[in-house]
Amino acid sequence: MTLRVNPNPLPDLLTAIQQSEQNVNSATQQLSSGLKVTQLSDNPAAASADVLNRNQFSQDDQFLQNISSLQSRFQVADSTLNNVVTALTRAISLGTEGGTGTLSIQDRAAITAEVQGIQTQVASLANTQTPSGYLFSGTAVNTQPFTVDPTTFAVTYNGNTGVASTQLSNGNSINTNVPGSQLFQNASGSVFGSLQNLVTALQSNDTTNIGNAVTQVQNALSTLATQRVFYGNALNQINQSEAFLSQDQLNLSTQQNALVAADPATAASNLVQATTGNQAILAATGRTLSLPNLLSFLPTP
Amino acid sequence: MGTLSASLNIAAQSLLAEQTAIQTTSNNIANANTPGYSRQITNFDEQSPIQFGNLNVGTGVAVSSITSQRSAILDLRVNQETQTQGALNAFLSAGQQIQSLFNQTTGTGLQTPLTNFFNSLSQLSANPSDPNTRQAVLTAAQNLATAFNQSANNLSTIQRSQNVGVTQSVSQINTLTTQIAAVNAQVSEATGAGQNAGPFIDQRQQLINQLSGLIDVSEIDAGNGSITLTTNSGAPLVVGNQSFQLSTQTSPSTGFQNVFDQGVDITSKITGGQLAGQIQIRDQEIPGILNNLDSLASNLANAVNTQNQQGFDLNGNAGGSIFVPPPASGTGAAANLAVAITSGSQIAASAGPAPGNPGDNTNANALLAIQNQPIVNGQTPLNAYSGLVFKIGNDVSSAQTNQQAGTQVLQQLQDLQGGVSNVDINQEAANLIRFQTAYQAAAQISGIVDALMQTTINMVPGA
Repeated sequence: MTLRVNPNPLPDLLTAIQQSEQNVNSATQQLSSGLKVTQLSDNPAAASADVLNRNQFSQDDQFLQNISSLQSRFQVADSTLNNVVTALTRAISLGTEGGTGTLSIQDRAAITAEVQGIQTQVASLANTQTPSGYLFSGTAVNTQPFTVDPTTFAVTYNGNTGVASTQLSNGNSINTNVPGSQLFQNASGSVFGSLQNLVTALQSNDTTNIGNAVTQVQNALSTLATQRVFYGNALNQINQSEAFLSQDQLNLSTQQNALVAADPATAASNLVQATTGNQAILAATGRTLSLPNLLSFLPTP
Repeated sequence: MGTLSASLNIAAQSLLAEQTAIQTTSNNIANANTPGYSRQITNFDEQSPIQFGNLNVGTGVAVSSITSQRSAILDLRVNQETQTQGALNAFLSAGQQIQSLFNQTTGTGLQTPLTNFFNSLSQLSANPSDPNTRQAVLTAAQNLATAFNQSANNLSTIQRSQNVGVTQSVSQINTLTTQIAAVNAQVSEATGAGQNAGPFIDQRQQLINQLSGLIDVSEIDAGNGSITLTTNSGAPLVVGNQSFQLSTQTSPSTGFQNVFDQGVDITSKITGGQLAGQIQIRDQEIPGILNNLDSLASNLANAVNTQNQQGFDLNGNAGGSIFVPPPASGTGAAANLAVAITSGSQIAASAGPAPGNPGDNTNANALLAIQNQPIVNGQTPLNAYSGLVFKIGNDVSSAQTNQQAGTQVLQQLQDLQGGVSNVDINQEAANLIRFQTAYQAAAQISGIVDALMQTTINMVPGA
């Protein structure tokens, strides 16, 4: 005798229907959300890795924002220093002209006035501000770095020698400023000191002094040029970091896709499969439940 | 030697037997869809023969018994599996709610607020003197605190609803054990009287199965059809016609309802049924997650506070606590995390005394560096959180796997049980025809014997 089968197939059929409806539901969810991990339990390891992935991606975003604000600051600093270089070059040629022995006192006075103008211009360049404060006051960004005495034209540095450093990416930092004292009052060539000396020499009408003063301005110019390299390098460095971060974000997106994103083609074909399965089990249930039984074949009394 | 009157008797007995069988069949068909009903069989017995000389002559048929078709072993297995399923279902229903609180793909959980907090410090590092950037750090810290509060509060809400569930389950258990005790008495009474106790056993099994959905049940045969029910740990539920009511009492340590049987706290010993799942969520799963959140919140707050105290704020004052210092034990840190500062200027971005130094970001960098420091039990904050996400997902996922596997097992057992006990209309119809034919034949025999008797009587002249 064979084992008696359960004459009531309904619970099994209902479970199968429920399962197939769940399949349809999860396939629809994958397709509509674009995610294959819609709940942590779908893939706990992927969900957990996704936490770190999202964190890293967003961190990179912030680094990129920081970079773009640094970039504009560095560009302003670089072009400001470029203007200072132009001004110093002009001062050198004025000084050379002023050092000529045949020059009249009046002409020399005019040259002196022009150099004084350059002095003021450089002072105002050295006081350049960006939205994040003065560029050349060290970390005392809210303090105007240089003040010029209106009578003596002597320049005082009010900033500090602080250097700030900011992360460009995880574990990769960059200094974000050169203190104004280092740029404009450097011991190996002071911009303001040499200009002041040039003015004094021009006023003294002593061609030897003027010649010496011009040399000092030349020293100051070359010192400034050396210091200015910092901003050029910094711009290069942040460009590199920007490229690195963009690539990192691309990698992270790819990883995230692999971790939690549903492949649309797979999701669509899953849905088709689930729908077909659902229809099949419904058809089977309908067929099974409407099967005739023995009573249908008995002659009516 | 046989007699006509004996034949008539046999035919009459046969009519009675067949109509009993027809009634049983009719009852089977009537109860085909009754939950818990097991089909009954009419057992016919051949009557003892009578000896006439060297002849053994049969004396007909009698219905010896009507028996319900059950398999006690399958009943037991179904009950056991139902206990496991009950626990898993209760665990899963709350587990689904819990995991939805920490799903970053739908924007819940702590990943975004944690990341945003550190990103705001990153931004501060790039622009330490900007008031808006400082304000953004304050806002991010507040959002982080709120996110911790909400996560912890939502968990507590689920925990409290499980606690209400525990009380409800206990009351359902008590109702069922009362009913089972009554039916148990009926079973032993019927068994004692030699009657078919099947219908009562059906009822009892149905009730025990419901009970199994709620709590772990161990069944002991007490003889005479009676059973004793205890929990797996031996706490009595039903003995004979007596039920032992469970009660709940507020635990002084947790404030939640603990389950007592005969004055003994059995809360931690309940291993099956809905009650076990509810207790597991309430007493283990949620406290575990809360503990993790507290540890994350308190370690993070302490690290940030300590670092902020190393620096100087925008006004040149020594930095204070950014977050209200969490309790030393860490308990409740997540639920109560709050921001202590009221202005972005109080963030100590600088290492040296400002205000002369607002562009100094040394301490802001140090605050930012906390995100990569192993401050939470040897892990960075995000790694610790990511580990928590894994734990929550994994707990639900393994419960799901067990539940799915269990469903298959239960379904198979129920199929086997149905194979033994369920009414098959085809079978009943076939039996009906058999009994009908036999009844008709017995009636015919009565008629023929009657005619034969008439013939015998007519043999007497003058009658």
